[in-house]
Order: sequence, then structure tokens, then C-alpha cells
Amino acid sequence: MDGGNIKLSLDKLPIRRVDAVDENGTEHFPPSDVNQDEKYLSLLRRIDFTPVVEKDAKKQKVSRENQASQQWPWQSLVENLRQAHHELSVIIDLVHNVEANDAVAVAGMTRPKPLPNEVLSDLAISTSTKLQCFQHVGKYLKQSAKALEHQVAREARFYGSLIRLQQNWKVKRQRALAAPSGSEGFTFDLSDISLSDPLLFRTSSLSTVRIEHDSTGMLAVTLPPNSCHALFLGFRDGPSSTIPIQPAGSNIDSLREGFDCGAKKETATNEDVNECLKETHALLRSIHRAIFDEQVFDWVNREAFNGSPGVNVTGMRENFLQLSLNPEISVCLKLLASNKDDQSESQNGIHNEGSRVVSVDLSEGSGASDARLKNTQEKEQNWLPDALSCEIYLQQLLLENVFVRDREIRAPVKCGSNKVQGSMKPIGDGFGFLGHFCVSLSHRIFSHKVLVDLENLAARVPYVHLLSHPTWNSRISAWSLYMKVPQSIMHLGKTKPETFDLEKGIRSQFYTKVVVNDESICIEGEAAPSVVGLFRSDSVEVRSISGYHCGLEDLTPMLLQQVASQVVHWIHEEALIVGMKVTRDFLSLWFEVEQGDRLGLVARIDQDDPHCCIGWWLVLEDARMEGHPDLSNGGSSESKKFLGHLSLESLYAVLMDLVSLCSSSGTS
Amino acid sequence: MNKGVSGGGLGGGAGAVGGSAAGPTATAAAIAAQKQKTLLQRVDTDINNMVDNFNFLVDVARVSDQPFRNSQEAFQMEIRAARVVQAADSLLKLVSELKQTAVFSDLGSLNQNVEQRISKLDNLSEETNTLVMRVGEEAAASLRELESHYYSSLHRTGDSLE
Repeated sequence: MDGGNIKLSLDKLPIRRVDAVDENGTEHFPPSDVNQDEKYLSLLRRIDFTPVVEKDAKKQKVSRENQASQQWPWQSLVENLRQAHHELSVIIDLVHNVEANDAVAVAGMTRPKPLPNEVLSDLAISTSTKLQCFQHVGKYLKQSAKALEHQVAREARFYGSLIRLQQNWKVKRQRALAAPSGSEGFTFDLSDISLSDPLLFRTSSLSTVRIEHDSTGMLAVTLPPNSCHALFLGFRDGPSSTIPIQPAGSNIDSLREGFDCGAKKETATNEDVNECLKETHALLRSIHRAIFDEQVFDWVNREAFNGSPGVNVTGMRENFLQLSLNPEISVCLKLLASNKDDQSESQNGIHNEGSRVVSVDLSEGSGASDARLKNTQEKEQNWLPDALSCEIYLQQLLLENVFVRDREIRAPVKCGSNKVQGSMKPIGDGFGFLGHFCVSLSHRIFSHKVLVDLENLAARVPYVHLLSHPTWNSRISAWSLYMKVPQSIMHLGKTKPETFDLEKGIRSQFYTKVVVNDESICIEGEAAPSVVGLFRSDSVEVRSISGYHCGLEDLTPMLLQQVASQVVHWIHEEALIVGMKVTRDFLSLWFEVEQGDRLGLVARIDQDDPHCCIGWWLVLEDARMEGHPDLSNGGSSESKKFLGHLSLESLYAVLMDLVSLCSSSGTS
Repeated sequence: MNKGVSGGGLGGGAGAVGGSAAGPTATAAAIAAQKQKTLLQRVDTDINNMVDNFNFLVDVARVSDQPFRNSQEAFQMEIRAARVVQAADSLLKLVSELKQTAVFSDLGSLNQNVEQRISKLDNLSEETNTLVMRVGEEAAASLRELESHYYSSLHRTGDSLE
């Protein structure tokens, strides 16, 4: 105490300086040079050392126990900390008391000077903290750089793909779409703005395709499921459907509702980008085709609804249209979702007309009756036109007559080439495009039946050849039946027989032309059994080409008559050449034998004969008998003899025999 | 530190990239120049931001005596680093805007592309027509030949001999 002032010195605290703490809790103290007296002094300097004494006592006790039981190694550290805490709380208490008491004022207090190692450790802590901060910032920057690099790569990939796709597709940017979805709002616009009348076709929901890009920057095109439709064309046999609707096949390959190219990969290579581009191209093409199919269906529906001539609508639903071609056959158009499920469903139990294979459901067994059914079905369906080619034709009609025409109207100078104009033949006969299509289909079915008849005829009459003449018109078909006659003995020296030797009046070939226009058959032929030709023996008149119409059921007999008539005509000419007295009738030749008797070579037509439909009879006509003998009973008698189904060479030989017979009878 | 330069998009940036298009009017040229100026300004601002913030980061590398100052600086470092990244991101956005402008506003090359495509498709269509016609003609010729072969074949003549 110095003049009322109390001086309280707290320096030289007994600070426990821990040098190090082991992992197992053992504390290492710095080597102390404090002697025993100073230790006691320090103990005395404690403000209140009663607890310390107690603690020491306890500690001794505990240490004894510790020694005995070898308890927890951290115990000493805990004790020291607790001790320090207690000491600190006493000091704080003291400071609070001094502060609370106004009478007591702290005159001065000196901070204990830190030891150099303490200063260094503080500095080290600050430095390490700063280093940590920098490391943290560095890490952050590195991560950001990596993310930005990734983003740069993504954008390079995305915009690269976009620019490449832009060369083929119209890419649009819609700012309105960009904000909510987070993407840039790019879309592919697949709608056709080339049409001058935008109302001609309703805009498809598929015409705008959103472009997204995934985490690797790949383009991703998303479509709602079942949004792509494809047109299917099929035929129905009468009102009850026995021929199932079949897919045309080409439209359903590999069409998917969106894809995500690089979704599974973290990094994408150039090959992946190329692959992704290819797939996007393919998908967009499929969508384009689906839109076109919708337009075709839309257009067909509109034409059908307007009721153009030649179109007979028998069924109409939302995605289905049935047009009757004739009372037996209908053509059906369906707009179906072209996903894989439909594909598998449609393939089940459906015949593939393109390859003419009927797939039979295996679960029902494959017995003889099934095989027979299959055969009959195949036969029935053979005369149906190919559905795929019909579909292509329908699409071609729309393309040429709506799109190309519209484009030419708008830009007549650019598309003024003759070729394009030539390909756009206006469809006459008052038919609309759909009417024209239906009539073409009917014609195809009808002409196939005609062809089958002609083939049968050519197969059964050996000297008749069937030649096809492509007309390049969907509603006209033409064939010709050709018959080459043997060379006459009068012209054996000629090396090259001509079709018609005008000087000699000799033919070496005969043609009969069969033209089917829509559903009417026209036969044009030389030496046709015309009414005029029957009563006049003028060869020029008979040789003239005449044409006439007939129905399908009359076709075979008419043609057989035509062929037989040509053969008779040929033999007549040959007989005239060799100087025989011969008269020509409808399908017969009559040779004057003697005293008014006539020998007849008569052709008989039997279209049901499986071998040859034209048979020849030799008939002796007595001058006393009236009329021709009856050939219908088929049996031979004295006055008539069945020669058989003679070839032209045999007929010529018969003629030569007749020549010798007539000449011998004439001389006798 | 001024990040308020947004540039307002590049919607009409045809002049900026496709400025070489034939005969831009004076107004369009002025707009294009303005756009270009805005872009350059944005680039300058972003790069200055990055440099300034990085400088600060280097400056605060000195260890201060006061511990509170150190923690203050640690916080500031985070902010500056974030600003550097933000400036880089802004530059990247600018690059992608430029790319978009290149994609959508290069009307000259777009039109050229479309023209090329149209002529290519026209050629293809013409070639296809020719090909189809040739295929048809060849098929007809082959059919004729096959028919003549068939009717002169032994199968057919053998039938007739029988």
C-alpha cells in the first residue's frame, strides 16, 4: 500500500507451457529451469490456492489411482485445462469486481511481453490461415475454370451442331420460349411455307421441334410420344375386312420419340457429335415425312369430302378413310402412330404384299386346311396392286399437283423448264386427283385380270406370243398377241422375210393389239372377223385393221376367234398363191374338189380346252347336202375328221396335201 | 466493378457480323456501329473487372499483423474471386451471343446455303427422274428381250412341236 493506492501485481503467472501433446494425450512440457523455491513461490502467488491444494491432493489421489489402474491418458491434459479455466474465471471475477467498484480504478497494467516463439506462432497461424484462404480461392477458381471450359466445349459442340444442321433445316430462335425453360429457345421449323396458300394445309403440331442441349452440349430433340404418324394403305375385300390393313413399311423404320445422344457419357468425342448429328438428321427427316403423310391424308380427306367424281367414300373416321374401287374391293388409308409397338402389332398376322408372302399365325397350327387357305388367299391377293407403290403414287400425285404446281405458279420463270412442265400433266376426264388415283387403282386390278387371261391364252395356243407394251400411263395398259406364220415355199429363197410384202400380198406376222383404257378393253387386229369381212372376199378389206370393244368375259373367245381368223386368212392367202380354188368363210376355208364337192378346213374354238383352244376339222361337204355338218358333237364320221390341235407348220403341210389332192382329183 | 453493362442482346446484330452485306443503309450502319461499340465496351469492362479483381487478390497476399484484418481479407478474397469468375462467365455469354448472331444473322450465307440446297435437290430430282425413266426403259427393253427369248426357247418351241 502506497498512499492509499493498492498495487496488485499479477505478472509472472505460473503459465503452464505445453511443448507438445502426443496422439495418445501425453503432454510434453518444455524443460524448466525453475527450482523448487520458485515453484513454491509460484504456488504462493496464486490468488486462491485452496482449490489447488485440494486439487493437488485429489490429483495425488487420482494419480495414485491412475498409476494403479493406468486410466485414460488424456486425463492430465483435461485436468490442466480445467485448472486454467478455473484460474481464468477467478481473474475475470477480479476484473469485474474492479470495474464494478467506482472507487477502485486501474492505474496501469502492462501486458506481458509475448515470447518470440509466441509471436512466431501467431504469425504462422495468420500465414497458414491466409494460405488456406488462397488455397480455397485457388480451388474455387480452378473449379470455375473447369466449369467454364466445359461450358465452352459444350457451346462449341452445340453451336457447331446447330450450324451444321442449319445447312439443311430451318432453325428459329424464339425469345419467348427461352426464359421459362432455361434453354435458348431454339426450334426447328419444319412447316412448309412454300405453299402460297397457307390455309391449304393445316399446320401440323410437329412442325415446330424444340431443341434442347444436354449436359455434354449435345443436341437433343424431344417429341411427345406417339406424335409421329405414318400413312398406311391397304385393301379390303368387300365390306368385311378379310385382307388386313398393312403398313407400307418404309415409314416406320427407326422413328423414335426424341433421343439424347450423350446422356450417358460425361465427355463426348467428335464421333459422338457426328453420330448425334446423324441421328438428329434421321429424326428430323422422319418428322418431315410424318408431316407430309399427314398432309397427304388431309388432302385425300378433303378431296373425298368434296365428293369429286370417281371417288366413292364408304367409310370415314378421324384417322381412317375407306374408298370403294368396285363392289368387291376397297382401298383404305390409315394414319397411325408409327412407334415400335404399333410396328410389332401390325406385323403380327399381316401379309407382306411387297414380297408376296403371307405370314400365317403359327399358334393356330399349320395343317393342310391352313395351307389351302393360305394358297387361296395368296391367289386372291395376287391381283391386288402393291400397297407400297400405290402409296408412293398417291404421294407423288400430291407432290406434283399441289406443291410443284403451286411453286410454278408463283415462280414461273425459275421453273420454266419443259421437263417439269411435261411431268405435270393435267388430269382430264373431269376426275380430281383422288378420282384419278381411284380409277388408276381400279384399272390396275382390272388390267391384271386381263393380263391373266392373255397369259392363259398365250400358254394354251403355242403359236401365239404375248408381248407387253409399257404405256407409261397409269390408266392405260397395252399388250399385243403376235403370231409368226411359217415362210411360204414360194419364198424360201428369201433370207429376210418382211412383215408384209405388198407386192406379193404375203404376210409373215400377225398382230392383235389389246388396249385396256380404264376398265374398257379394246381389241385391234388385222384380219378381224368383222361383219364386212365375212361377206366380202376382198383381201384388202379383210386385212384392214379394225378395232372393237369387249368385256372381260368375252375377251378370251374373241381373241381366239381373232387368232383363228388370222390363221385362216393366212392359209387362204397361201392357197391362193399356189393357185387353188378356195373360198373363205368366217373360220373356215373351202376348197373346190370336184363336181361341186367342197373340202373344208374348219377351225373350232373351245376355250375350256386345257391344251389348245383351237382345233381343226376337215369336212367334206357333199353338193347334195345343205349346210355345214355339225361339229359340236365332237365325234368323227365319214364326212368330217378331227385333225387335232395343229401347229402352223402342220396346217401348212395339210394345205400342201390338199393342193396335191385337189390337183390329182382335177386331173383325174 | 461496374457490372451494369448488359448490352441488351444482339437481336439485330446483322450489321455487326454481316456488315459486309450489300448496301446497308446509314441507319443500319449506325445501329451496327453502336452494337459493335457496346460489345467492345462489354469486353473491356469484363476484362478490366478480371484484371482489377486479380490484382486485388495478389495485393492481399501480404499477411497483416492484425488478425481481424486477415479474416476481413479472407472474406474479400472470396468476393473478388467470385467477381473474376462472373466476369469470365459474362465474357462467355458474350461469345455465345456472338455465335448466335453468326448463326441467325448471317443472312447472306444462309440464303446462299438455301440456294445451293435448292439447286442440289433440283439436280437430284432431275437425276432421279432420268434414272426412273431409264430404269423403266431398260425394264421394258429387258421384258421385250425376255419375251423373245422365252418364245424362241426350247421350252416354248418344244411345246409347239408336241
